[in-house]
Amino acid sequence: MNTASDNSDIPLGSMLPLTGPSTVDGIEFRKGIILACEEINRRGGILGRRLRPIFVDTGRQNAEDVVAAAAQLIQDHGVHAIINGYNIGPQNSEYEVIADAGVIYIHHNTLLQHHDTVLSNPDRYFGCFMANPAEYWYGQGFVKFLSWLRETGQWAPDNNRIAIISGSKPYSIVIANAMASAAERFGWSVSFGPKILSTPRNDWRGVIAEAQATEPAVIANTHFYATDLASFQKQFVQRPSNSLVYLQYGAMHKAFMDIAQESAVGVIVSAVTGLLRDEAGESFSQRYLMRFGQASTPQVGCQCYNAVHHYAIAASVAGGTGEPGNDAQNRKVAQALIEVPFRSVAGMVRYHPQWQAAIPYPDQVQDPSLGMPHLFYQVQDRAVGLALIAPAPYNADRFVLPAWFSPRYTKAPGW
Amino acid sequence: MSSQTLDAASDRSDPVLDGLDSTTAGIAVWSGERILLYANRAYLNTFDIRRTLVGELRYDDFVRQLATSNELVLQSADMWIATQIGEFGAERQFDQQMSDGRTLDIVRMPSANGGMTVTVHDISSLKSIEFALRRAKEAAETSGESKSRFLRAANHDLRQPLATLRILIFNCLSETDEVHRKDLFHAMDVSVSIMDDLLSALLQIGQLDAGKIVARVTTFQLTSIFERMSLQFSHQAAEKGLKLRFAPTRAAVVTDKALLERILSNLLANAMRYTDVGGVVVGCRNDGASLRIEIWDSGRGIPLDHRDRIFEEFYQIPSGRRDKRPGLGLGLNIVHRLAGLLGHSIDLRSQPGKGSVFSITVPLGDIWQSEVAEPEISETVGGEFAGTSVLLIEDDAVLRGAMKGLLERWGMKVSAIGSEAEVRNHLAKTSATPDLIIADFSLRGQVGTTIVQRVRTLIGKQIPAVIVTADATPEVVARIRSAGLPILIKPVSPPRLRVMMHNLLFEPAELLSSPSEPGA
Repeated sequence: MNTASDNSDIPLGSMLPLTGPSTVDGIEFRKGIILACEEINRRGGILGRRLRPIFVDTGRQNAEDVVAAAAQLIQDHGVHAIINGYNIGPQNSEYEVIADAGVIYIHHNTLLQHHDTVLSNPDRYFGCFMANPAEYWYGQGFVKFLSWLRETGQWAPDNNRIAIISGSKPYSIVIANAMASAAERFGWSVSFGPKILSTPRNDWRGVIAEAQATEPAVIANTHFYATDLASFQKQFVQRPSNSLVYLQYGAMHKAFMDIAQESAVGVIVSAVTGLLRDEAGESFSQRYLMRFGQASTPQVGCQCYNAVHHYAIAASVAGGTGEPGNDAQNRKVAQALIEVPFRSVAGMVRYHPQWQAAIPYPDQVQDPSLGMPHLFYQVQDRAVGLALIAPAPYNADRFVLPAWFSPRYTKAPGW
Repeated sequence: MSSQTLDAASDRSDPVLDGLDSTTAGIAVWSGERILLYANRAYLNTFDIRRTLVGELRYDDFVRQLATSNELVLQSADMWIATQIGEFGAERQFDQQMSDGRTLDIVRMPSANGGMTVTVHDISSLKSIEFALRRAKEAAETSGESKSRFLRAANHDLRQPLATLRILIFNCLSETDEVHRKDLFHAMDVSVSIMDDLLSALLQIGQLDAGKIVARVTTFQLTSIFERMSLQFSHQAAEKGLKLRFAPTRAAVVTDKALLERILSNLLANAMRYTDVGGVVVGCRNDGASLRIEIWDSGRGIPLDHRDRIFEEFYQIPSGRRDKRPGLGLGLNIVHRLAGLLGHSIDLRSQPGKGSVFSITVPLGDIWQSEVAEPEISETVGGEFAGTSVLLIEDDAVLRGAMKGLLERWGMKVSAIGSEAEVRNHLAKTSATPDLIIADFSLRGQVGTTIVQRVRTLIGKQIPAVIVTADATPEVVARIRSAGLPILIKPVSPPRLRVMMHNLLFEPAELLSSPSEPGA
């Protein structure tokens, strides 16, 4: 066991897409880890030991690349924990290498299958944590959001039809399925899809036309690559319909805004984990931009930043970290992660004791102090950034009807 | 000060007076001139009298001061003063409630010279015990009433269908005509249903009587209850030739979901029972911050003079008809009591001969707070493979069972089969085409690759497939690859299987760019 008397650095691993389609996010994840390690080290590290981050590229994020990255971090660097953003593709293959080594693994894969894997053998996967809620919550949370817009008179849809388009990654498919399964319960009807298309792709014109043929009040695209979504939105506004457009996570990214330009204004996007605009969030944002430059995206970097801080607190409470093979110590760290919730700059990180995943608000709990907020944004002014329109008490702006709607909509009541 | 005054405050020590000071009961002696001659410590403390006033305090002044001190709980201070002064010297015993919650037992006894002696006892604990005993007695009586009610009901309502059942069974034993026999079985079924309804209703009443039903209030979508009720009642409506319609609603309401469902089910069952032609409609209307859930029927209606009594236990409107399944007279009572428990109002509008509208008004909820059906989310609900059908061909029964369990945990519809012959049988019986095939390589003399090709030919579609094998020799791997099929080596790792299935179903291009199994 590594005790407080040991002054060597603690190797902290991170598996990031530093090349390939998710590079833009991978770079921000890296920055978040660096900033957190610097802050922790300035305060004396974990019980006197400094954190030393080690990064390995996961490239296309498939099972082979991610499993190899985990093995490299454990075998070559002896990391005590692996903390990273998301790696879509390995379907939890990397859990096996990590469980064999008995180290802590905190990721933001946002995958429902994390629940299934952990529940299948809680003793083996004791160290595997998902620091944000599963993608499933995007689906039903979005349906609730739409219903809230409708019930509060902020939007008077022509009908109750929703068209759902999905990319081919499990993440997108689960969100699309969850959306479809929740729709009817809230008085919506799925008029198109979920239509699963192979991705990456930049030509969406055919599927947009097919969806529009059903005259939907809402078109949701659950694919998540920023550049692909920018193409989607540009093609939609070339021939728009009176439909709200919801785009998945990637549309939050600056790269989306840069490519989509003015056509982005009006788009709805959400995040089950996102930077809050309160005092703590603003302070973090300033530190982040000062450290990495104004072109950086603290909204993405905050995820890994939070996870490293939470890990440091839990490890301190547990009396130290554990190297590979020291699962007795790492079990104490895992227990502390569950028992010590952390109010991060993205809201409350409170792990479900069985799922070992962050519990979402208001999708699962109704008390904002007990769950990580599922935030809904609208692109309203590209210069200002995303407007946070729901849920209370975090919202700071109001929904605005997108400009692509025909003029008669401006006469609808409640606006 | 009078020479006859017994002054407890004097320096003179008197063992008798000391003894009286140590009792918990208050004792006071008032003279015929209505002056306080003696008061022990308990009396002085109880009424907050200074010792120096003994020998001087006048009874009328004492009574007036006490009445205005707020120490006593009095309905009318003036009336109490008049009574106390008027009854001086008369024998009297009464309980006095104090503002601090105590109860005092006060006894006045006349003395020889026209004065009186007063004793005061604190009987608060006795009163508390008495109250608890009374509550226990009432609970016991309620429980007893509940049992009596059960016995009364059992004696009449339960005995009737039981007697019918006995006759039906007897008739059935000697009945040779098949059609008639079926009729008798149907009649038996009706009798059993009546008994079932009665016992369920009595159980609910019993739980309400015992205070065992506790509301758990949440916010939820009302449509989830409508869906369940539609499933429950549509068959019954069709059997009776009635139209049953639920008007769609997207409202979120705040109440106890299970209890509201019980209320609505009882109201709907009642509407169906007393409607012979036409139909029943369940719908909602917004009413400010509340939602009124209404159940309209085109039934017999309820005469005005019965409307106040229909919510009473066992009350039934007299009817000249012989109903096939008469009511028990408990359903509306349960509705009334559950609505009371939840604080919801029940209303009734009715026109005899035309129909009735029962309604319950519940608070509307915030849609953000609305619970979605499954609090424990799982892959069977929203996983990427949920609803995907798979044909699993594996001759080892243990492996087949384990793999089937794993796939079903991910929400897949699994047809688990042990041989090619069984596959043919299975495909002949079903019109559904599997989305995916998972086949073992070595299948008792046959090979999985051949079976996959035959299934594809039989169905006429290139269904995605994967071969699993425990034999990873280069010859076997080459043979599988030459058939154009991907491989998984046993024991199959669940994440590997997931990746493989995902690629086969959604991203076939990924399959070509990465090896299907390390080392294979």
